[in-house]
Amino acid sequence: MLDKSRTVFPLRDRLLESERLMEQTGCYDGVTELCLRREDPLKFETLHTKLRAACVSAREMARRISASPGVREVGEMVVAIYTPEGDAIALSNGIMVHVHTMSRFIKWMIRNGYEEAPGIADGDIFANNDAFIGTVQVPDVMDVMPIFHSGRLVGWVGAVCHELEAGGITPGGDVCLAQERFTEGLFVCAEKVGHNDELRRDYVIRCERNLRMPIYWVLDEKAKVASCIDMRESVKALIDEIGVDYWEKLSKEFIEEGRRAQLARTRQLTVPGIYRGHTFYGHVTEGKPGFQPLGPADWLYNIPLEMEIGTDGKITLDFEGTQPWGYHSMNCTPAGMDGGMFVTLTQHMNFEGLVNDGAWMATELKLPEGTWTNPDNEQAATATSWALLLPAYGVFQRMLSRSFVARGFVEEAFVGQVNSPMIEMGGESQYGTQFGMAHFECAAAGSGALAIKDGLDTAYVGWNPESDMGNIEIWEQSMPMLYIGRAIVPNSGGAGKYRGGCSFASTWLLNRTEHLRLVTSEHSSRVFDNGGMCGGYPAPTCQKHRAVRGSDIHERAAAGLPLAHAPGTDPLHSDLEVLGGEQILVEGPYITAPHKAGDVFTHSYNGGGGYGDVLERDPAKTAWDVENGFLTPQAAAIFGIVLRDGLDGRPEPDLEATERRRAEMRAERIARAVPVSEWMARERLRIEKADFAPEVRNMFASAMRLSQKFSDEFSRFWGVDGKAIFLGGSK
Amino acid sequence: MTTYSKEVIADLVAGRLPWPHTRRIMSAYKDDDRFFKYVEVLQDRVAWDHRILLPVGDHLFITDGADGRVTRCECGHSFGDYRSNWKLSASIIVRDSEEALREIYPNSDLPDPAWMEIREFICPECGTMHEVEAAAPGYPVVHDFEPDLEGFYRDWLDRPLEQA
Repeated sequence: MLDKSRTVFPLRDRLLESERLMEQTGCYDGVTELCLRREDPLKFETLHTKLRAACVSAREMARRISASPGVREVGEMVVAIYTPEGDAIALSNGIMVHVHTMSRFIKWMIRNGYEEAPGIADGDIFANNDAFIGTVQVPDVMDVMPIFHSGRLVGWVGAVCHELEAGGITPGGDVCLAQERFTEGLFVCAEKVGHNDELRRDYVIRCERNLRMPIYWVLDEKAKVASCIDMRESVKALIDEIGVDYWEKLSKEFIEEGRRAQLARTRQLTVPGIYRGHTFYGHVTEGKPGFQPLGPADWLYNIPLEMEIGTDGKITLDFEGTQPWGYHSMNCTPAGMDGGMFVTLTQHMNFEGLVNDGAWMATELKLPEGTWTNPDNEQAATATSWALLLPAYGVFQRMLSRSFVARGFVEEAFVGQVNSPMIEMGGESQYGTQFGMAHFECAAAGSGALAIKDGLDTAYVGWNPESDMGNIEIWEQSMPMLYIGRAIVPNSGGAGKYRGGCSFASTWLLNRTEHLRLVTSEHSSRVFDNGGMCGGYPAPTCQKHRAVRGSDIHERAAAGLPLAHAPGTDPLHSDLEVLGGEQILVEGPYITAPHKAGDVFTHSYNGGGGYGDVLERDPAKTAWDVENGFLTPQAAAIFGIVLRDGLDGRPEPDLEATERRRAEMRAERIARAVPVSEWMARERLRIEKADFAPEVRNMFASAMRLSQKFSDEFSRFWGVDGKAIFLGGSK
Repeated sequence: MTTYSKEVIADLVAGRLPWPHTRRIMSAYKDDDRFFKYVEVLQDRVAWDHRILLPVGDHLFITDGADGRVTRCECGHSFGDYRSNWKLSASIIVRDSEEALREIYPNSDLPDPAWMEIREFICPECGTMHEVEAAAPGYPVVHDFEPDLEGFYRDWLDRPLEQA
């Protein structure tokens, strides 16, 4: 251990002093006046624009060094510039979730005496992918480098890439099968991995020997170091121009300006008060190969959220009442939770002005210890933390959107988040070599609806606002599977006045491999993990996977017979059944014995929730949806829309019949509905008997064990003693 | 200062503003006079004369009038005091069987009704569906929004409300 009493830690003292000043004044680092901004606002803005340009330029350059289609094609990378204390001043576009996780990483090193050992010198490179230090999940590997000027540490530059392979128990980056930290893959824990602007050779060797596809990780490391050096030199050139004292003052004012701007935007766009929402996630692993019996095999997660917007503009998010962490890979650390908050704010509110850590400082997260949001055991695995993180921040998006609707900024209201499932793979490539990869076309799923229009089809994910599915040919070069179909999934957007965006399904033929492991993750089973708004329905989840082993597709092709190109729209049968071979149907994470050439595999992504009452849907839009495959003719009935064949054979709405049908449906609703009080009286009897599936009973018991507030609110709502019912009377 | 006519706001709210114009509004600085124009547009839309204090849904408002501050449907139906959860005074359709869920999801994977149900909260007078909850059976009904009405009008709009 370091003998801290005999060592001088100027950087750590500075960090503590900065935090004390924030506590004392309420302003970042005690900056109560934006003097430089007042003196010369044009210069102030221009300098921030230069920093942002340096970030964007460095990221674009780095993407061309990377070998990973995730970084090159999809843009799974972000870079940023930080103060000496580790607060973000400026950032690029990309996976902005990591701007604040890198901040945590830098602060962790400062707090842990890195000034003395291993030391912080000009040209050093520090890397990390440990979520308890500061990232979201193992594949999110970050590199930071200090900026020295005139012999002083004047800041940091940092870069993150999402690695497509992390060397875990299952191939790919999001290691679905990891139930503890020790099976998640290659960890780099705030390690000095290079000096004099060069990565250490022994570090590179360790990567090369512990990953299934080291070319991705190693070249991404080089890309990140190049981007850091590029940004560092840009900052140094700027400091040469404006002077180091001016720089230090300026960088702090940028952050304080960002904090004030966030508060002002909240006051401008929202309505103060308390907002609530919830979502759920179904984890189904019973009987699946590889899962150890460390915890419940099937687990229903409840994720309640309460958001308070104060009249000062501060946003507080509270996760009280959610489930404990578990022996699965979906736990999240406070760093990841911070990141989720940051990326959501950048999409919904920070579309102008200075975007930096100041926005995060205008918010507060309450993450109850022991829950999946803040595990009290650092052995917890976080390799697929997006599974719970995305649905949770989807609730945040809907709560923010409710505030936008209340305030009148309907064009900003967005039902939001999509938890899109991932495919990870590894084994023998089509070139006969070892390989591993995460397929990232999921970065373009369907979005939730807006309050004024339909959601985006095949064009959204929460974690990367620049959604891009990449080029099909590039993906085919990277894996031993050929596309035999990619199709819109009809009805995959939630129904509503404005429907959620639709997603797509891909179907592949395995090619030139005798051993391909396919694993999917981050898709909820048995429950919706998304929601609708203001009367819109949630989007259906994609919980079932289909494959055909030993298919006769080549024989059928040779005979000119029809092939299968998509799973189809029959919920009980798949179009793949046209093929001979062993039909496979798996619910939840797809983990089976390896596949080989000739097998067929299909995977669907999720759409987003709907907005508004379905009976207000524009009939003409629905006719267009049916004509173009976004909706099945059967699903048009949900909206009370009657279609008929037009003169050119295209579906067209029968407006009079639609009006009659909708009047009937309204009357049917009123007749079918019961007063909530009546329903509650019936439900109460069921609750008293705990007449629920075991997973539902366990969910209530776990939430009540961890949260007195949840237990009290449940008991008050139903007029029962919740703990007596679900915990056997233990108070 | 950015500002738009009431007609533009009305078209925006109704979803009939041409997309290029909507896109420009999304990209521009926000109009600080939006709220009262928005309320005027909504007030024109409804048939009753209670004053809209705050929209809380697509067809749901907190209004002020002879019956006090209540949550009110666009059809005029009152769900009672705005501080209580309007859903508890609504009507409900619960979809907790495969058959009932299949009506909404005819061609998709369904949730397991033992794990999740859909609750549709409906105005008992006009049948408008104001909110849909997807929840585990037994989960309490969510009180979506408790606005700080006084603070909003006093501190953010600079037009304090008269005492209720």
